[in-house]
Amino acid sequence: MHEGEFRRVLVVDAGDNVGTLIDDRTDLLAHSGGPVEAGVPYGHKIALQDIACGGEVIKYGVTIGTATKPIAAGAHVHVHNVSELDE
Amino acid sequence: MSTLEGYVRPDGRVGLRNHALVLSTVALANRWAELTAAGHEDALLVTGETIRGGRGGDMPAQQELLDALVRHPNTGCALVLTQDPISAETLRNAFAGLGKPVEVLALLDQDGMERAVHRSREALGKLISAGGAKRQPIGLEHLSIALECGGSDPTSALASNAAIGRFVDRVIDAGGTAMISETVEFIGAEEIVSKRTPDPDLRQRILDFIRTREVWHSEDGEDYRGVNPTAENIAGGLTTLVEKSLGAVAKSGTRDFVGALAYGERPSRSGLHFMDTPFFTPLSLTGMVQGGCNVVLFGLGQFNPSANPLVPTIKVCGNEKTVANWRDAIDIDASTLLTGAQDLDGLADTIQSTIADCSRGALCAAERWREGQIFFPRESAPL
Repeated sequence: MHEGEFRRVLVVDAGDNVGTLIDDRTDLLAHSGGPVEAGVPYGHKIALQDIACGGEVIKYGVTIGTATKPIAAGAHVHVHNVSELDE
Repeated sequence: MSTLEGYVRPDGRVGLRNHALVLSTVALANRWAELTAAGHEDALLVTGETIRGGRGGDMPAQQELLDALVRHPNTGCALVLTQDPISAETLRNAFAGLGKPVEVLALLDQDGMERAVHRSREALGKLISAGGAKRQPIGLEHLSIALECGGSDPTSALASNAAIGRFVDRVIDAGGTAMISETVEFIGAEEIVSKRTPDPDLRQRILDFIRTREVWHSEDGEDYRGVNPTAENIAGGLTTLVEKSLGAVAKSGTRDFVGALAYGERPSRSGLHFMDTPFFTPLSLTGMVQGGCNVVLFGLGQFNPSANPLVPTIKVCGNEKTVANWRDAIDIDASTLLTGAQDLDGLADTIQSTIADCSRGALCAAERWREGQIFFPRESAPL
């Protein structure tokens, strides 16, 4: 099913290291830039490249959080591996 | 692209509507106002929870709001209905020489409900025929946009708010005005706002507005930063407070802030302004309309029926499912940005032509459904 099809990912700013899945087809395992972790829901983010533990998570060209563990390209980026920025 | 048109008022402000306003200044006169407006197809009824016996700043605030609605550039003429003759005389003096037809009537000057309604309908008919204002071509510099969002979901920041932001940049560059409000949505976005506010005094004023409401929140025993993003936001894909705040701020575009306004305050210059308002949409919209906005751009994810009755409220939605289900209540489909059918500039063009059509008489969805209320915040318990 969906052979050769990619999940749609929206990247807002050229400097972003995460993109947003705007595609309901959670069984597709790739987007045009690489792999996608299975089951990540619509509206959630994936890493566009490897992000080191402690690294900045960047969306809209702005740092929105800090990685709390290493995040591989294509992995789900969310509250389980990102914390709020320190104030 | 189709041309914008508007009504240029004697004070130089421009309206996109020429409403015949039927305004009740105190809730006691609301029913009279309803019956009056029901007799004229073109009347715009505005009644509210306006009270007597308000304390502190509440009564002056209420008077200023009512005054601003009559003076608003979208108001072509106004029939103002109140309870007692003394209030009526005060209002009559306040609106004398306004350069638009205004009549003030007091219920206690009438002699029976039936005759009261007959007389007020007759007065409204005269005001409407005395109007005669004509539309003329205007430019983007005459737009004063109230920015709002509701029912936010993951598409909001990416589509509707982003498209609105792109159009706002265009209006600001053309010499127009826009305002963004709902102060608590800026908690977590202080750094972004600071970067876009070069004037240090202005920056401090905006940060103080944000800080004050955060303190109110904690005085109520809640920690805004602790509960945001909400469980619903997180389920939708938002991860951090900064990410959530960025989505809301996106609708203001990218230009610098040139003004920090108190609730309902009119800007003294064109450009992008911050207004300190509560987050409840009808309250927030009322503040920006009081401040003189002549159009509202409203970004949606899930559907939200909020609007302002005096000012065309244009609904922009980026969620395909919401657009499919609520096609009759949404003006602009911004999900085209997510499918790749349109880019941000294309959508900004769509917003511009929708406002242009609206300015030349087309009704927006909220006007077709007659959505919208005038509310204002009250600080104290009445006497």
